[in-house]
Order: sequence, then structure tokens, then C-alpha cells
Amino acid sequence: MSFLRRNWLWFLAIAITLLIPFLFYDWTKGRHSGFALTLMSEIGVMAIFALSFNMLMGQAGLLSFGHAILFGLGAYCTAHVMNAVKAETVWLPTELIPLVGGLGGLVFGYLIGWLATKQRSTAFAMITMGLGELVSAAALMFMTFFGGEGGITTDRVLDTSLFGVSYASPWQVYCLVLAWAVIAIVLMRLQTMTPLGRMANASRDNFERAQFVGYDPQRIRLLQFMLSGFFAGIAGALYTIIYEIVTFDTLAAAKSANALLAAYIGGAGGFFGPILGTIVVVLLQSGVSLLSNAWLLYVGVLFIVMVIYAPGGILGLIMQHAPIRRTGRMRELALPYVRIFLPAVVLMLGFVLLVELTSFTTIGAAQGKIFKIADTVVNTRTAGPWVAALFSLVAGTIWMRYEFRIFKLTWDALMDDAKRQGLVQ
Amino acid sequence: MTDIAIRLAEVQKSFGRTEIIRGVNLAIPRGERHAIIGPNGAGKTTLFNLISGRFPITSGTIEVNGQSTAGLAPQEINRLGLSRSFQITSIFPRMSVFENIRCGLLWSQGYRYSFWQLLGRQKGLNDQVEALLDQLNLSARRNLQAGLLSYAEQRALEIGITIAGGADIILLDEPTAGMSHSETEYAVALIRRVSEGKTLLMVEHDMGVVFGLADRITVLVYGQVIASDVPTAIRGNAAVREAYLGTEAA
Repeated sequence: MSFLRRNWLWFLAIAITLLIPFLFYDWTKGRHSGFALTLMSEIGVMAIFALSFNMLMGQAGLLSFGHAILFGLGAYCTAHVMNAVKAETVWLPTELIPLVGGLGGLVFGYLIGWLATKQRSTAFAMITMGLGELVSAAALMFMTFFGGEGGITTDRVLDTSLFGVSYASPWQVYCLVLAWAVIAIVLMRLQTMTPLGRMANASRDNFERAQFVGYDPQRIRLLQFMLSGFFAGIAGALYTIIYEIVTFDTLAAAKSANALLAAYIGGAGGFFGPILGTIVVVLLQSGVSLLSNAWLLYVGVLFIVMVIYAPGGILGLIMQHAPIRRTGRMRELALPYVRIFLPAVVLMLGFVLLVELTSFTTIGAAQGKIFKIADTVVNTRTAGPWVAALFSLVAGTIWMRYEFRIFKLTWDALMDDAKRQGLVQ
Repeated sequence: MTDIAIRLAEVQKSFGRTEIIRGVNLAIPRGERHAIIGPNGAGKTTLFNLISGRFPITSGTIEVNGQSTAGLAPQEINRLGLSRSFQITSIFPRMSVFENIRCGLLWSQGYRYSFWQLLGRQKGLNDQVEALLDQLNLSARRNLQAGLLSYAEQRALEIGITIAGGADIILLDEPTAGMSHSETEYAVALIRRVSEGKTLLMVEHDMGVVFGLADRITVLVYGQVIASDVPTAIRGNAAVREAYLGTEAA
């Protein structure tokens, strides 16, 4: 019972993630929404990947620009083993397939980490970038393993399930992804509480001090890198199971950048930050990309805004409220938040409209697309929409600045109160 | 024959063409509290860096607990039973005070690179950390981020990290630098307590601290030992007075 009570948040999170797909359930046809399930599965995979990335960046202070190579190599290993299982040359239960990716990530983590972790900080980042390019180049050269441009296709319906599940439906796959996501996240969380996890923090903070308490920082980095590779590999394996194809994209620089975006936007300082970031990034990527040609621009702007104004990420923003929450005066922030929210919406509408108008006159026009807002065709060649967008952007900005000052006053007063009561830190 | 904790023989160190340490010979018996003094730029901190393995020596030999440290990395010298603090406070600033001390204990308790043991469950280890925090007077600060401690508290924490592993040779580099009078007094009492039964080697500028704590004092001037003796003899040594103490008294 006490176990349940102590970890209620975990169980709540699992319950919610199991229930969300039912919001999109088509009751008339009695079918799950394939799009929603794939989106949720993608979030699960990318959450593991972003957390494994943060084992390096957040916990060990190692910024990797080539983290996707571990994800991708794990995925390729999985695809080959799945094909072998399908051909009945080896037997492995479907439920344990993700371990193949994990082992692949671990082994390649050792090989790549052996080189990369010889250095730390900037040099480490440069080495990982170089290795990322190297593996990407190799992927197009070694046809038998990487399958060239076409990649390696596979089939997840293996008939080797321990529970007699076919994994033909996206719902079954989603449950498998969720189960492995929970396992991986719990293990990564626990790893932060072990001697290695703590010494990774220590060598991030002060690698020389770590040496003078008896530890070899290089060994710490290598082991941390390998474990991070293990979890990245599990993510890669789940990716393979979901999409049944592994291509060169899985280990390319864009994939590495995704983990970095998720970790930064969510907050690299806390354990759960990258999960929040993953949700935002995947929704932007999979959801907004259907609606807009300029989705990548929004991701970029969001990233820049976060790095400048909230370097602690979403989690950092939430954590900043902790002292005020302890004073029990959170309610007093409600109205200021509403007041700052309104101009923010005006500002964003103006910005989005401007971006969309631009993208529709350039790429959109070339693709023959027509800009519609709720069935109303917007003519991008008239001045009206442009003026409205510009006005909304400028007015929103001015209004926002004004409201922000008021917000800041309330915030500072509440923080001062918290400080007086000794509730800060 | 006495048991020697640290032995330096003809130790020489050059940075490029500049010779910083010019043939130092020194033997520190086990259990002694030994202070190194000397004017700025005499090479005191460099000597520390050589003994602890932060820099390699150019020539000569250094033995720690009877073993040559030639070619050993800092962590390997630490494992021989030598631990040091730094002139510029060196702690783990983003970790809690408790975690800082625990990191100091891990290796000596045999945890090595374990990623399968949960630290929260290591009761013996955590009790030791608590006991040490108590000794350092930092118990009330245990959950605070170490970087947010006051300067004097950070110095105390660093001494704590330094002694946590149970090393029998402790090197302290200007442990009371930048402290107020009362803070210094407290630090001296702390150093006296934690160095009980251990070999202590320290660099210090505060003569009150040096003469109050040290069993023996070595005076280093321009990379050479000009005297190494008990405090009363050092006080009466004319060469020392001229090179160092004289300017201080004036």
C-alpha cells in the first residue's frame, strides 16, 4: 500500500496515458484512431530517447550532437533480428525485442563512447558531431547492414508473443511501447540515484574534484555514455516495431537535434523535463506539420524563446513557482496570468498569421495550396490580412510589455513574501 | 626509523623555461601536522599540485605512503590515501550539501561505478554522511545546493569532502583564506579535530593559524626549502625572518 501511495503520480500518469487514446476512439466503428495512437507511440519513443540524451547533457554535462546514432544503430540491429525471428532462424518473444535495440545501443555506445568520452565539454560535443557525420556517411556505404537509401523493412507480426498478442493493431503496439517506456523511464530515474548517477552529476559540476575523491571522470563518462546508449537503443527498437522500417533518418543529425530540442524546451535541469519537451516537440512535429508548411519555424522560434527567456525549460518555469506555492498564495497569480495570457494570444495570432501569409505566398503558392481560415479563403495578395497580422503583432507586443510589468510587480511581491518567510530554497 | 607519509626527493618542476620548484627535499612523518609557508609565488600551491598529481613533476621522486607517484593520475594517488582541498573552493556546486559529502565517501566505501545500488538504501553510508555533516556543523544546511552556501560554509564543506574518504594524508591549500577572524577560529578548531591522528600538510598565510596548528614548518622561497623545523626554531631563524616573516612584522 505504501508503495502505491508513494508512487501515486506514476500510476496516475500510466492510467492517463492508457486512457487518452479513448478520447479519439471512434465508437460508431468501434475502432481506435490510428493517428492518435501513432502520435502517442511516437511520444513514448521520443520521451525515452530525449531522457537518454539527458543522461548525458543534464546529468553528466555532456552535450552530444550525435545521439541519434545510438538510436539508429539500435533500430537497425532490431530490424535485422526481427527479420531473423520472422525467418525462424532465431526465436525471441516480441515483448523482448526492445532489449535487442538496447544491447545494440550498449555495444555501439561502448565503441563510440570509447572515442567520444576521452574528452569532455566542447571537445566532446565536436567528437560526437564528427562521429554522427561518420556513421551517417557509413549508412549509405554499407548496403547489407543499412540497406542504403531504402533502409531495412521488417514485420512486427512475429507470432512469438509471450501473451499470444499479434501486434497487428496499433493499440497493441501502443501498449507495448507504453510498457517499455515505463520500464525505461523508471530505470533511468533509478539510475540517477546510484553511485554512478551521482558521480556523473559530480563530474559535471567539477570533474577535477571528482578525481580527487578517487574517481576517474573518463570512466564515469564512458559508463554513463554506454547506459545512455542502451536506453537510446531501446527507443530505436520501439521505433522499428511501430514503423516497421528503419532508414538513414533514424541516425541523422536531425534526429539528434530533436532530442536536444526536447531536452532544452522541457528543461534539462530536472529528470522529467525532457518528457514535457518531447510532448511539445512531437505535437508540433506531427500535429502542426499537417496544418502548416512553416512548422519547423515554430519549433525554432519556440526553442530560441525558451533558451533566452526560460533557460530552465518548461520544468524550470514550473519549479520557479515552488516558493510561492509554499506561501499558499498561488491564487493571487491567477488574474495576472489571465491578463498576460490575452496579449500573448493576440501577439501569437499576429505572428502566426504573418508567417502563414508569407509561407502561402512562397511555398504554398508553388504547391498550389489555398490559405483558408475556417472555410474562408484568405487572399494573400490583398493588403487586408497583412495589415491585420502586423497590427495584431505590434499591438500584442506593446500590450504584452505593459501587462508583463504589472505581472512582474505581483510576482516580485509574492517572491519577497516567500523570501521573508524563508521559503526560498 | 620513523614512518614517512610523504617523501619528496630532488623534486623539480618547470613550466616551459621557468623553473618553479627547484629541487625540493622533504619528508613528512606520519601523524605530523606540517605547514608550508613562504612569500607569494614561492611555489607552495605548485608543490601541492605535484604531490596530489594534478601536474606531473619534471624530475625527482615523490612517494606517498611509501609508493612512488610517478605516472599516477590524481584519482590513483587519492586511492593511496591522500586527499586534498583547493585554494579556490572546489566543491560540487549544483549538488546538495549532503550529496557533496556522500560523493567524497563513495570510492572509499567500495561503491566504485555501481549503477545497481540505490544510494537511498545504503543506511551505513548515509549515517556516516550525517555524522560528518554534524561534525562540520552543516546538518541544518544538508539539503541546500552547495553553491548557495556562504563562503566560510563552502570552505568547511570542502574540508568535509576532503576528509570524507578517510584518507590518512590530508593536504589543505589555504583553508582559512578570505575568512573573518571568528570564521578562522572555527576553521582551525575544525581542522584540528578532523586531522587528529592523520598526517596534515597545509599551505597557509595566516601565521596565527600556522603557529597554532603546525608541529613543523617548512619555509619555501623561490622553489627551494630554506628551512624546515619546529615553530619555535622557525621563529628564531634569521634567514626566514629576512625572507618572509620580517616583511610580515614590519
